[in-house]
Amino acid sequence: MKDFKYIWVIGLIVTLLIVVVPIALFVSREADAAADPYASLPQRVPHVDHTDLLPGPYETGSDVTRACLDCHEDAAHEVTQTVHWTWESEPVLLDGRDQPLTIGKKNAINNFCIGIQGNWTGCTRCHAGYGWEDAAFDFSNQENVDCLVCHEQTGTYAKSNAGYPASEVDLASVAQSVATPTRTNCGSCHFNGGGGNAVKHGDLDGSLFFPTENVDVHMGRVGLQCVDCHQTEDHQIQGHLISVSATDHSELACTNCHQGTVHSDQRITSHLDAVACQTCHIPEGAVRQPTKMIWDWSTAGQDLPEDPHVYLKIKGSFVYEENFMPEYAWFNGEADRYILGDEIDPSTTTVLNPPQGNIGDPQAKIWPFKVHLARQPYDPNYNILLQPKTVGEGGYWSEFDWELAARLGAEAAGIPYSGEVDFAETSMYWVLSHMVVPSEEALQCYACHGEDGRMDWEALGYYGDPMRWGGRSQTVGLNN
Amino acid sequence: MAHLPWSSARKLTIALWARPKRRRARLLAVGTLLLGLLLIAYGTASAQSNPLHPTFPLLDQDGQNVLSSGQPVSTMTTCGACHDTAFIAEHSFHADVGLNALAEPGETGSGREWDTSPGLFGRWNPLTYRYLSPAIDERVDLTTAEWIQLFGVRHVGGGPAETAQSGDKLTDLPLVAGDPETHIVDPQTGRLVPWDWQASGTVEMNCFLCHLPEPNNEARIEALHDGQFGWASTATLLGTGLVDRVGDQWQWNETAFDEDGQLLESNVTVQGPSSANCAQCHGLVQVGSQTPLALDSCAPDQWSTITTGQIVSPQRIADSGMNISSKEDLGRSWDVHAERILECTDCHYSLNNPVYYQETDDSQPDHLIFDPRRIDLGDYLYRPLHQFAKGQSAQGVLAPELDNTLRRCESCHSIEATHEWLPYKERHMDAVSCESCHIPKMHAPARQYVDWTVLQADGTAVAGCRGIDEEGETFSSVLITPYEPVLLPRDSGDGSTTLAPHNLLTSWFWIYGDPARPVPQRDLQAAWLDGSDYHPEILDVFDANEDGQLDQAELVIDDNEKETLIAARLAALGLDDPRIRGEVQPYSINHNVTHGEWATKECSTCHGEQSLITQPIQLADRLPGQNMPSFVGDGPGADSGTLYSTDSGQLYYQLETDETGLYILGYDSVDLIDLIGSIAFLGTLLGVVAHGGLRFFTARRRLPSQPELRDVYMYSVYERFWHWLQTIVILLLIFTGLIIHKPDHFGLFSFSYVVQVHNILALILVVNAALAAFYHLASGEIQQFLPRPRGFFDQAFAQAKYYLQGIFRGQEHPFEKTPQRKMNPLQQVTYFAILNILLPLQTLTGLFMWGAQRWPDLVTSLGGLPFLAPLHTLTAWLFASFIVMHVYLTTTGHEPLVNIKGMITGWDEVEVHHRESPSPTTD
Repeated sequence: MKDFKYIWVIGLIVTLLIVVVPIALFVSREADAAADPYASLPQRVPHVDHTDLLPGPYETGSDVTRACLDCHEDAAHEVTQTVHWTWESEPVLLDGRDQPLTIGKKNAINNFCIGIQGNWTGCTRCHAGYGWEDAAFDFSNQENVDCLVCHEQTGTYAKSNAGYPASEVDLASVAQSVATPTRTNCGSCHFNGGGGNAVKHGDLDGSLFFPTENVDVHMGRVGLQCVDCHQTEDHQIQGHLISVSATDHSELACTNCHQGTVHSDQRITSHLDAVACQTCHIPEGAVRQPTKMIWDWSTAGQDLPEDPHVYLKIKGSFVYEENFMPEYAWFNGEADRYILGDEIDPSTTTVLNPPQGNIGDPQAKIWPFKVHLARQPYDPNYNILLQPKTVGEGGYWSEFDWELAARLGAEAAGIPYSGEVDFAETSMYWVLSHMVVPSEEALQCYACHGEDGRMDWEALGYYGDPMRWGGRSQTVGLNN
Repeated sequence: MAHLPWSSARKLTIALWARPKRRRARLLAVGTLLLGLLLIAYGTASAQSNPLHPTFPLLDQDGQNVLSSGQPVSTMTTCGACHDTAFIAEHSFHADVGLNALAEPGETGSGREWDTSPGLFGRWNPLTYRYLSPAIDERVDLTTAEWIQLFGVRHVGGGPAETAQSGDKLTDLPLVAGDPETHIVDPQTGRLVPWDWQASGTVEMNCFLCHLPEPNNEARIEALHDGQFGWASTATLLGTGLVDRVGDQWQWNETAFDEDGQLLESNVTVQGPSSANCAQCHGLVQVGSQTPLALDSCAPDQWSTITTGQIVSPQRIADSGMNISSKEDLGRSWDVHAERILECTDCHYSLNNPVYYQETDDSQPDHLIFDPRRIDLGDYLYRPLHQFAKGQSAQGVLAPELDNTLRRCESCHSIEATHEWLPYKERHMDAVSCESCHIPKMHAPARQYVDWTVLQADGTAVAGCRGIDEEGETFSSVLITPYEPVLLPRDSGDGSTTLAPHNLLTSWFWIYGDPARPVPQRDLQAAWLDGSDYHPEILDVFDANEDGQLDQAELVIDDNEKETLIAARLAALGLDDPRIRGEVQPYSINHNVTHGEWATKECSTCHGEQSLITQPIQLADRLPGQNMPSFVGDGPGADSGTLYSTDSGQLYYQLETDETGLYILGYDSVDLIDLIGSIAFLGTLLGVVAHGGLRFFTARRRLPSQPELRDVYMYSVYERFWHWLQTIVILLLIFTGLIIHKPDHFGLFSFSYVVQVHNILALILVVNAALAAFYHLASGEIQQFLPRPRGFFDQAFAQAKYYLQGIFRGQEHPFEKTPQRKMNPLQQVTYFAILNILLPLQTLTGLFMWGAQRWPDLVTSLGGLPFLAPLHTLTAWLFASFIVMHVYLTTTGHEPLVNIKGMITGWDEVEVHHRESPSPTTD
């Protein structure tokens, strides 16, 4: 023993362990906090200044694309595989149909400007490509990919008919500015859906270019860009909306970043099986700029006083609303879809994209929606919704002739037309997922429960307010 | 496919019509689309009629339909057609308000010589000031009739508004001269004039006030004010369409009834009381949460909001319309129970409501968990007991037999499940009520004091509020600074006491006579005012800035001259011996509870020098007539703390922990113990330094001694192990103990964490000591620690002499250190004391302090924390002193570090003694 000089070190370690181990074991700790949401944000490579790499000059957009492809060889090919390019989905088999269908902006109609077929030059201003003027557009030509609209950072880039760069754009300086897409890039199309700022979504508008935290906590307080959540791999951007996509791609969710027990209050946690995060955290839609809630095409064509928020001769009458209270419905991520040629019942409101799910569907949760109502043209003999030609030669916006527009549109879309036009009521569901408010402004219990609550419990399938009548487990025996 | 979402369309339609006219014209374009939606919208709007309650006729007192008689509706006969209204009225403290508990003045326990009951009818309150004079009084303030006129505002009717003190009906009373039950004071002359009960009628218990969705309380109050007592219930219906007021006549509206004289179904809106019903008398309750909540003064009409600042609203404070400091950070709601859609009646339910009825555990036979025999709903609806579950409040002494019938916090909430993080859960719950942490602040202002010793020009008292900086021009411009309620001991109902939040409302007022009575307001006004102006004599003395006005700063009796003047002027009115009285009335705060996220969780809130528990609370910025107020007799607070005034004239109250049997670790310390302890510790340190210094100097003047040494294996592995383990543990215990004792000096450390570490270390120490004791017993090594009586004193003297002399002269140690005899006699006696006295004392006091939550009764019988904790502290000081001495003495070997090295390696270099030394081993 005496020989081993450092035996005391072992003794010291053992002694310390005897002290430290029980302390470490028995001192109670705070419950495991929620995981760090920032850990899920994508790490970006440092920006490379492209000024010297793209000296220009460039004559056309495709010239720029070719220059991009010199280095980013696969980029355009990747883009052509995305819905930003194809504007349609892989074929999906919808309930009650015989064969799979592709669904997307390319062939589906909505109850805003209705459909792109025959109206390509106007609609494809927002296509990430050049020259989609008609059905003959070559989707395989990589040189038609528009790299700039998503990557340029000067703010001077603009697209004109068929998606070509506007003639005034200085393509060289625009090309030299390229970088990771920002809200400005995405917003240039997505904030202007429906033909103008804030028209379409109810949760996406120009207030998100530079929002305060009260408008959107992610973009306002934390300063996130669209692509921080809509994470992208090989130009495939996560996220989808049931206005153009019927199937569930649940790759993008609040819980991607907000993991673990995010609510300290168990009472709130117990809601999460039945209520989407958005329901409480997006108390209102269109918080800064009014969005279109009703569009009545039937009044178009008259020489009434014009106001883009009230009446336009080419489009008819509108009702806009801001700070609207959402509609609430069960939603499991999927939607049915009105397909061109489907018969409608003109005496009721046709829902073009009914969200799927009900109280008995364990995958379904109560979600907030903007519901857009419209009166849009249909063929009273065939009872099908029409897809009028509005843009260009013979289009309604220049001729104000419904019959002509309907006929030209029906030809482009390949649907029958009897020669008569009438108007039918339709609605569309728009999921609200943006304009998330800070947690301290989220809905409180009484917003939904109690006498003046905003939920129609019985319509949702409950016996009554689940606070008193019991939740899904009591109502439909669902134990999830 | 789903249908059109109509509710959205309806909303749009409404929004549409709300637009300016210019735009509205254009919007007609979409009219076609919306027309259908409009129809639907109107179709779904429904009256708030109650589909369950059958329709019924409104009857007058004689049972005639009011449509034919034109008489006021009688709730007793109308509702009494189905419900046992007599039973209801008899069993309701809301109706009784003290009538059945009337006593001789001064015998109510409140300490006021003039109180005659525990309720609104007979218990005087400085906020309302007016006094219901008993029949024996010559100078009458309020009679029954005027009491109804004024206090009927917060009285539901029935009880004293219908029945005389004798039990007869008021309308049957014979007119007796001077009887306050049949007279009223003429405000002009101050004389009693007869009151015609037949003409005024009496106030029946008003079912409508609590059971209609929108009762007209203002009209009811107005009818009472006007002395139209019999019409009060009818007035409550004004605005429902059932009755109209034409001129001063009440007219029943026949169109609201069917041909049989029964109410139309759509007019049957009877419901269980909502929080809004209760709010009419009890406090500010906000039901619709969309409008930002606002107050128009620091003392709105709502009673519990005046007295405590309680506001029952689901709204986030940040969303309110009030000017509250740091409001934007207050994401909590005013009241978490309101936020979570609890109604008042969910906790304050009727005591025989079968939905809530629960047998108390002790009234239940052991073999039953649940007794299914109970009244059914029909029985309940016939005779719903209008005694409501209540807690126990400092100010509410009515119906004490019903105290704590309410479901308490812990009746609904599992404390176990949610307070995992809290060490000493049970101990905390024993000492502190849930509200203490869950109502950390009051975000609305509340009355702080009322000073009736001075009068404002409008004839009312000077009053102050807590929670606001100053009275601004308009109330909305005043910054509200949330105030912290004061914690006072509260009877938990099971005999124990916990601290609970209160507001303290102080008042001063003039009393006169023997037995004392409060000076009637009209006499005060006569003394102070000359019409609407102050009397010149008053202005002479009070008007310091001589502007002819008296502002709040001037309106205070702060010297003898002022007091004498007012007293003289009151005496001149015939009031005998007018003098100032002051009292403090605590008001319990039980609402405005917040979620745990916003509750007090920081240990340092209480465990520190600035402990919340003993934070002084300001009672007033004045002390009229230098009159130190006293606590109202039947409330808490009086015996738990002290009232004191500062030099600047501000009055404070501070809770004293020793008065309440509390010992708050980190806050409480006994100065004497710390003084003795630190003297012992510093004395030892000084002694050691002096001794060591002397050794150092004497050693330098001497040739180093070179004793003959030999290596001895002195300490076995286990001995060394337990010694060093104990060393580490004791040092850490002293350090963590010091943090717990004075946490303010160690802000780096989490109090809660340190307490837990301290406990674990203590356990290690005890286990280590026990194992070591076993080792020493089993191996016989225990002998080392036992002083031998024989020759002990000589040996001890020799050792002491060595430390005092020999050591400085380089002499040898008097005793040779051998493995068989490691310790000298002084060491033995020291260890004997430490192991038999100090260590057990330290361990046991610590154990019982820890056990305060496990065996509270045992610990209380041992003197509780106030005794154990200081003892634990003292022994800790002595331990610390011992360690200094012990470490120093290890350096007294032939070389300073040789003993320490020996304890590390086991091998000690010991001096070889050649001269014979008295050694126990030779015995």
